[in-house]
Amino acid sequence: MKILRIPAVREVLRILLAITAALLLGFIITLLVSEDPIGAYKAFLTGPLSKFNRFGDWLEESITLIFVGLAVAVAFKSKQFSLGAEGQLLLGALVSGSIALFVPLPGILRIPVALLAAATVGFIYGWIPGYLKAHLNANEIVSTLMLNTIALKLYDYFLIFHIKPPNAGYNASDFFPKAGVLPSFVPPFMGDIYTRFSQQTNVTIMLYIMIAAFIAAYYMMFRTPFGYELRMIGANIKFANYGGINTKRTIILVFAISGIFGGLAGAHLAMGIHTKLIMNISLGMGFEGIVVATLARNNPLFVPLAGLAYGYLRAGADVMERASDVSREMVLVIQAIIILLVTAEGLLPVIQQRVAARRGANGQNAAALEGGENG
Amino acid sequence: MVELVLRGIFSAFFLASVLRISTPLILPALGGLVSELAGATNIALEGIMLTSAFTGVVVSAYTKSVFLGVMAGILSGILIAALLAYFHLYLQTDLFLAGIALNIMATGGTIFLLYVLTGDKGNSSTLASGAVPNVTIPIIHDIPVLGTIASGHNIFVYLGVILTWLTSVMLYRTPFGVHLRAVGENPVAAESLGINVRLMRLYAILISGALASLGGLNLSMAYLTLFQREMTAGRGFIALAAVFLGGRTPWGTFIAAVLFGFFDALSNQLGSLKVPSMWVQMIPYVATIVALVVYALRKRAIYLERARKFQERHLAELQARGVHPHEAG
Repeated sequence: MKILRIPAVREVLRILLAITAALLLGFIITLLVSEDPIGAYKAFLTGPLSKFNRFGDWLEESITLIFVGLAVAVAFKSKQFSLGAEGQLLLGALVSGSIALFVPLPGILRIPVALLAAATVGFIYGWIPGYLKAHLNANEIVSTLMLNTIALKLYDYFLIFHIKPPNAGYNASDFFPKAGVLPSFVPPFMGDIYTRFSQQTNVTIMLYIMIAAFIAAYYMMFRTPFGYELRMIGANIKFANYGGINTKRTIILVFAISGIFGGLAGAHLAMGIHTKLIMNISLGMGFEGIVVATLARNNPLFVPLAGLAYGYLRAGADVMERASDVSREMVLVIQAIIILLVTAEGLLPVIQQRVAARRGANGQNAAALEGGENG
Repeated sequence: MVELVLRGIFSAFFLASVLRISTPLILPALGGLVSELAGATNIALEGIMLTSAFTGVVVSAYTKSVFLGVMAGILSGILIAALLAYFHLYLQTDLFLAGIALNIMATGGTIFLLYVLTGDKGNSSTLASGAVPNVTIPIIHDIPVLGTIASGHNIFVYLGVILTWLTSVMLYRTPFGVHLRAVGENPVAAESLGINVRLMRLYAILISGALASLGGLNLSMAYLTLFQREMTAGRGFIALAAVFLGGRTPWGTFIAAVLFGFFDALSNQLGSLKVPSMWVQMIPYVATIVALVVYALRKRAIYLERARKFQERHLAELQARGVHPHEAG
């Protein structure tokens, strides 16, 4: 099997095997608990395509997932285990939502300003743990977790005490005015298609921004000196230091740039999907980003694919729950199994050892830098 | 108003509630400490707690035995820890990603099974699950203020204190503890001295799982007497932060966890004041970041001090031998 010696092929094969195994296990679980396992699993696997608005749900969900996935992938590629996407998302939603609500600009200005503000606040909120890591070697897992909770408390405080209407009995803002809501991704002159998409789905121009974002992330990571430094730090930070890279500056920037994507994910949730600020707007999206990035092996090029695949599973699980007696949380178990199987480096040991022996130990670092195949 | 709150804070009842709120942080934090010191940051504390909280409730409901419930809860926690260890130590999965995966699995799995068993996704109120008994300490119980603070808690509160002490003894007074810390400090050096790094980390992760599962059982069989979906509410992560806030020592971790509990209890008290509770709830998180910075600065200062001393010694030695430093290179 000569083809198995190509790392990229092995990687794809491993991911496909992991997904298949996890789906099979999901089916076994369904068999055990459901009265109508076939029907339930069919709803799960075909649900997102069964109705137009469900198709929209799938795309909306995937856009959020792709943004948080990019945030995580950029950080993880240089082995910075930032969990900060959640906090950046919350602050991005808070800031863009406030602008959408209160800044009296026409829509053509208000939306770009809000998006820019979300990206900026994400950048700044990512910069903090980056600085702490680079200059003080502070554990980024702990610092980003703390910053997430701080962001959550800030979000709740501003929402409850300043943004929600004073006499409202619920903890949510008013709906944004039209000038603060992202327009549909289909331009109005397309008549029928426009009406369908804009009325039945919340797929907005964020779709285009997402496409631009993943291309930019890919370009940055693989076609710029900065991206080279980022990957070099991920492959071997001591070597990067020895090679004269300003690792401190690069690490801070990695955290901050990752924050931009987190902030934009928040803007998408606030101004695209909910069109108002609500409590618990995120519900652990930052962690979902880790799943997406892991599936994409931290390569921005594959993040959209992973985001769509994972968004499909989530949307399918929602349909299954409504159509059958199996609850949607099954997808979380499937998701966990996928991560475990995809990241278990020792699972395909025989093939890997052969390849490693052929390449020789010296080729390892160079190989890690030349392409996106290594986590 | 302020006086009312102050009086509330220093009342015996308040201090007793701080202890009760802190315990589900202290126990997993000790677990986090043990595996952290062995060089394996355990992100899965949250998932382990959730699993054991669920298992304890279900088993105690079906067997009508609190003891069996607790035992099954601990076992289930150790099982999750064993999965983590197996994937990390034997299949070379990244420890961090494996931990995240197990947390996701625990969140989904417990809700899924809860729905299968009870038809409800929110909580287990239809299951008649048990509660661990409260402990009345004979003489202390009758002393006015001290009795209220220290007596009449559930078993886990006392376990939290006892296990902190035991962990401290284990880590600093036994060969096992020394080996465990050596593995975390410098695995290569430990290996060269014949310590089995992988085995030590396996033990550390399993111990960590047992301690975290006690924290989970505390939540569902003492603090509350039912299981709620996602009832750990991030306590596993706060526990991990307490390890760092406490300077990676048992009693430091204990104090840090109590501090988190204190601010939690305080924000409940402040409901009567006009201060938004979020600001109070934020304090321990900001404090943890400050502690991270202080810890890092201290570590760097110690390192620089050592380097300076080494250089001085080296120069003195050279001078004693009559070699000019520049000639020696």
